[in-house]
Parts: sequence; C-alpha cells; structure tokens
Amino acid sequence: MAQSTFLDANELVLNMGPQHPSTHGVLRVILKLDGETVTGTECVIGYLHRGVEKIAENRTYIQFAPYVDRMDYVAAVSNGLGYCLAIEKLLNIEAPPRAQAVRVILTELNRITSHLLWLGTHALDIGAITPVFYCFRDREEALKIFENYCGARLTTHAFRIGGLQYEVYDGFEQEVRAFCDMFIPKVDEYEELLTNNRIWVNRLKGVGVLSGEECKEYGVTGPVLRASGVKWDLRKAQPYSGYEQYDFEIPTAQNGDTYDRYTVRMEEMRQSVRIMRQAVDKIPSGPIMAKMSKVVKPPVGEAYVSIEAPKGELGYYVVSDNSTQPYRVRVRPPSFVNLQALDRMVRGGLIADVVAIIGTLDIVLGEVDR
Amino acid sequence: MADEEKPASSPPPAGEPPKAAAPKPAAAAAGAHVPPKPPPAMAATPWESALTESLKQAFGDRISQYSTYLGQNFIVANAEALDSILDFLKLEADFDYLVDITAVDYPKLEKRFELVYILYSFASNERVRVKIHVADGVKAPSVVHVHLGANWLEREVFDMFGVEFEGHPDMRRILLPEEWTGFPLRKEYSILQQDDRWVKENLGIESGH
Amino acid sequence: MVKLLKTIFLWDLLQGLWVTFRNQNPKYICTEQYPSERPKVAERYRGAPRLNINPENGETLCIACNLCALACPENLIVVGSARNEETRRKELSYFTYDTSRCMFCGLCEDACPVDALELTQDFELASYTRDGAIWDRQMLEEGPKPSKYLS
Repeated sequence: MAQSTFLDANELVLNMGPQHPSTHGVLRVILKLDGETVTGTECVIGYLHRGVEKIAENRTYIQFAPYVDRMDYVAAVSNGLGYCLAIEKLLNIEAPPRAQAVRVILTELNRITSHLLWLGTHALDIGAITPVFYCFRDREEALKIFENYCGARLTTHAFRIGGLQYEVYDGFEQEVRAFCDMFIPKVDEYEELLTNNRIWVNRLKGVGVLSGEECKEYGVTGPVLRASGVKWDLRKAQPYSGYEQYDFEIPTAQNGDTYDRYTVRMEEMRQSVRIMRQAVDKIPSGPIMAKMSKVVKPPVGEAYVSIEAPKGELGYYVVSDNSTQPYRVRVRPPSFVNLQALDRMVRGGLIADVVAIIGTLDIVLGEVDR
Repeated sequence: MADEEKPASSPPPAGEPPKAAAPKPAAAAAGAHVPPKPPPAMAATPWESALTESLKQAFGDRISQYSTYLGQNFIVANAEALDSILDFLKLEADFDYLVDITAVDYPKLEKRFELVYILYSFASNERVRVKIHVADGVKAPSVVHVHLGANWLEREVFDMFGVEFEGHPDMRRILLPEEWTGFPLRKEYSILQQDDRWVKENLGIESGH
Repeated sequence: MVKLLKTIFLWDLLQGLWVTFRNQNPKYICTEQYPSERPKVAERYRGAPRLNINPENGETLCIACNLCALACPENLIVVGSARNEETRRKELSYFTYDTSRCMFCGLCEDACPVDALELTQDFELASYTRDGAIWDRQMLEEGPKPSKYLS
C-alpha cells in the first residue's frame, strides 16, 4: 500500500467569509468539504455584535427606539413597529386608528424594500446581474416615501411609543398609490427575468430543501416556513396594528426548496401592495398619538410581543421594573434563528449551493449579531 | 478636544435621576441598575384552563405558579422538571415551536437567573412562557433534545449570562469572541467598565468615567 | 410540445432580454449627478444640526433648558448656561454637538420646546479631522459650509 500523504486526505476545511460577497455581511461559515460535497458546516457569528440588549438597559424607553432600527437595517420600520407595540402592550395602551393605518402602510412598504434588496442580491449571487439594478431603482421610490415621511431613508425611526411622531405629509396617499400602481408591473418584470430562466430554475429547484416539520423543529419562520407548506403568518394568526381589517392571502408553496422561497417572496410583495391599497384608501382621521404621559414608565411586568417582519417572527420580550429604563429587553431575531437551519440545508449539497442557500435565508447580519 | 468629548458622555446631562450612570467604581457588584424591588410586584393573575389542569395532573407541585399578565400566560417551574415539561407540552399539547430562550438577571435573588422559554402552538395559536430559576454556577437542563432550535439560543444565554446548560452538545460562546471575560447581560457588568478597559489597553490612560 | 419548442428556441432567454431592452428607454434613467448636481432631499430630512437664531436681532432662540441633552440617546449634546445678572434669566453660554456620534434620530429636535435646535437638510458632514465633527455654538448657528466642487 502506498504511503499516505496529505493528497489522500479527502476532507477539506474551507473558510467562507467573513469578508465574502455572498454571505451578505460578515457571516463566516466554516465548510467541511469532501470534493464538492459539503459534509458539515459551522457558522461563526458575532462580528457585528453591538450589544443592543445591553444598550437597552442603559437607555430610557424612548431613547432606545432609534437603536432597534439598526438591527435589521433593511427593515427598520418593522423593527420599530415591534418595539413600539411591545412597550404599548406593557403600558396597556393602543395607538389610535389613524396611527395604526399609517403604520401598516409603512411596514408593508418596508417589507417590499426588504424583499427587493433580497431579490437583487440573491439574484446577483446566483449570477443574474440585471435584477439588482431594477430592484434598487424601484426600491428607491419606496425609500423616497420614507424620506418624505420621516426624514430618513434607512434607519427611519418612524414610529414612537403610542403612535406616530409625524403627521403624514401632503401627497402621501397619492405617492403611495402611485407606488402601488408602478410596482405591480415591475414585479411581473422581475418574474419575466427570472421565473422561467433556465439557469435560475436549475440553480434553485431542489436546493436546500427544508420540510415543514424541520422548520418547526428549528423555529424557522417567515417566508422560509411558508415555502415549506405551513400557512402561518403572524399578521393573520395574531393580528396586530389593525391587520385584521385587511384582506390578503398568505402565499405558500409545497416543496420547501430555494425556488419556492423565491416564489413565496414574490407573491408576498404583491400581497403587500394589496394591503397598502386597502389601507391607503381608508386612513381614518383623528389623533396620531395615544393619550399617555410624556415619561414612559410602564408598571412592573413583562410582555412578549411579536410581529411578522420581512424575515420572520420578530419578537420583543420586555421586562419593566417601573422605572424609565427597561429592566431587560430581549429581541427574538428571525435571522438568527433561521440561520441555525443553514447546516441542515447545506449538508450533503454542493458547495456552489451554499451561496444560493445563504441568499435564500435572507439573513441580515446586523440582526443575527445585534 | 478629547477632553471636550468626555463630559459629553456622562456627567452634565446625567439623564434621568435613577440612571445607571456608573455608581462610583464600576466594580461595585450587585445591582448597578438599582431595581427598586424584585419581580413579585408584577400584578399577574392566576391562569386556569384545560391545559393547566393537565399540567397540574402531570407535574403536581413541580410547577409552582400558573399566571397570566396582560393576556399572556406563563408558568413557573422547577429547573429539574424543565425538559419533561417542554416534552409534555410538545407532545401532548402541541406546543411544537420553541420561539425563544432568554434570561433575566435578578442579582438580589438567591436564584438570580430567570430563564424564560417562550413556546407557541401552531395548532391552537397560543403562546405560553415557561420560567425556571437557577442560581449562579448551577447548570440548567438543556432542551436541545426536545427542540433542535434551542441549540444556538442556549449558547446565547450562556454567552450573555454565563448560565451553562447540562447536556448541550456544544456549550461555547456564540456572539462574543472565545477569549471574552465576563458575561455582558449580567447586571453588574457595566458598559462603562468595558469602555474603561478599552481605553486603558489601547490608549494607556485612565478613562474619565 | 410548446414547452419543448420554447426550450429549443431559448424563449426564456429572449424574454429576459426583451425586459432589459425595454428598460433601455431613457425615461427609466434615474442616475443622480452628484456632486455636480446637488440632490434634492426631503423637507423633513434629518441632517446637519442647526441652532436657530432670531432673524430680527440675531439672538439665539435657545433658552438653555437642557432638554435636548436629556433626550439624546448618545448624550452627545452639552449645553452650557449662565445666569445673566441684568435680566436675571438663564442664558446660553456654549453648546457642543458631537456629530461623529450622532445617529440623526431626531429626538433632540422633538424635545426642543422653542424650535431652536433643528436637523436641517444639509448632509455633507465630512471633515478632515475628528475634531471637525464636534460642532460648537458658532458652527451650529452658521451651519456647515460644504466645499464647492468643480463641475
């Protein structure tokens, strides 16, 4: 028998990231490879850890609100909504109907911007370079609405505890309607580019399959769960902020592969437009801020409130000790929990598919690491 | 100009009166945040339902409290019974989705860490929180064999609070670097203490806090 | 059969190319020619801070109440005040705003009771030194002076 050398070793350990264009940030994945087959992974995270939960304990309730925008920075409005809802729950108040309607419009708009960024970068990872330009061009229109509404495009800090800080500007309704009208043909356009494209289909179909049972086992939520055939959306299951008034579908798919997650997200954008159309048609008049004292000081207690963020279930567990600062704020980040399923999805697949699967999970490292 | 910057960060605008603004030396253990009173003051009401009945039958006095606050139900259990409770809830009551594991630090209590397990049932669209209390240095039972998703969540609790989990397959830090000292979300761990150390190590001067 | 023909004649590819061709239309161009053309930002844009002065007499509107400093999550505002012996009123003596730590959340302008502190539409905040990011009262009242670019 020939002497064994390192050339006979059939296992290769490869570092992917933290500076790698397709890990969408600073995710580092250590891959164990046998040829081109992935036999194991380990995620190394924490490069973007800023200690948001610790910061919360050293800020007042109002002061902490801008920080939550910086977790999932592509869906800052959703983060803000979840935080405000959690504190409102602790205070046992509810935002007035007008504020709720505006909140719904902006969160759905934010869902679209988040999904557009996902679509652009995911397509770029797979090798389709064109969609990213179109996605960013159309995302710009939505960001302009944010900028006009609250003065910032990305880390919006749009909502306040108890309602809204800003009244809608003149022409808000028209701009949202114009965006809705403009956007639906654009989604069709993206679909024309990708849905039937043979490279796209071959790269995505049957890749990274996750069954509904496995999703529940790992706690995976959001579009990933829905693509596996579980028809579950917090907006329907436990409606918040007046979502029960709006008529929309929960898009699902059966196979739970990367392609299905793509179709689910595309359909979700259409449903978001549908919700926005309904909401913008009947923004009630009235106050935008609930009656509450200026100093936010919830009674001793705790509450867990979660919303359907673009990435999945985003929860806030807040413990109050009747001071102006939270005793503990825990964020249940959807990306963090979803990323856990990465190992299950890539194991046994090819190394080229790792890129597709990280893309399809739609993680934002700011939220994974917090 | 650096001197200009420091007063900005702490002394003059001292924030709200009960602020955690670094009580003298940051080493002052136990309760930098000054919680006025420990948790029992929460105005929770007892929780009764078919689920609590079956839990009472199955676990008896191993679950000490069934409460509801703001319409959210939670139970307080013995640490040893935790995995069997989660197992029971998963198999018998369809609480098949472990939403989150987190902890809250109450340094004044004897069992200072309150671990919170948030569960959700897809079938009945219901949430329940299971809480256990563990003392510093005592291992909590791991629930990875019940819910696979507990793996990283438990690692994060260990990372942030230093609560170890018995039977966890891979008990390491997850967000912070391996060589990190201290557990950031404990109440005695002040952010300022870390700033001071950084300034000392990197700039070689005492920080102004 | 149709599917087979579509596959052979690269229908999916042509479909995609038609989309890109349609988007050649000049009306879809949305490039901004910054810095030769200054982009127009929203009216509510939260940019460089400014301490407003009374346009009539040039006196500051700030009453040195310190509310902005208390509202700031990063504690980056320092308000200095002194009692004027003649009028027996508290007057602003200095005001420091560290833009390097600012995240432009707008809580300070929300807190201001007299609309003296305001986040304006200026967005060119870069400077060559770290000290340049710490703005004093004079700079806050004058506002930033971004360099003009040759165009």
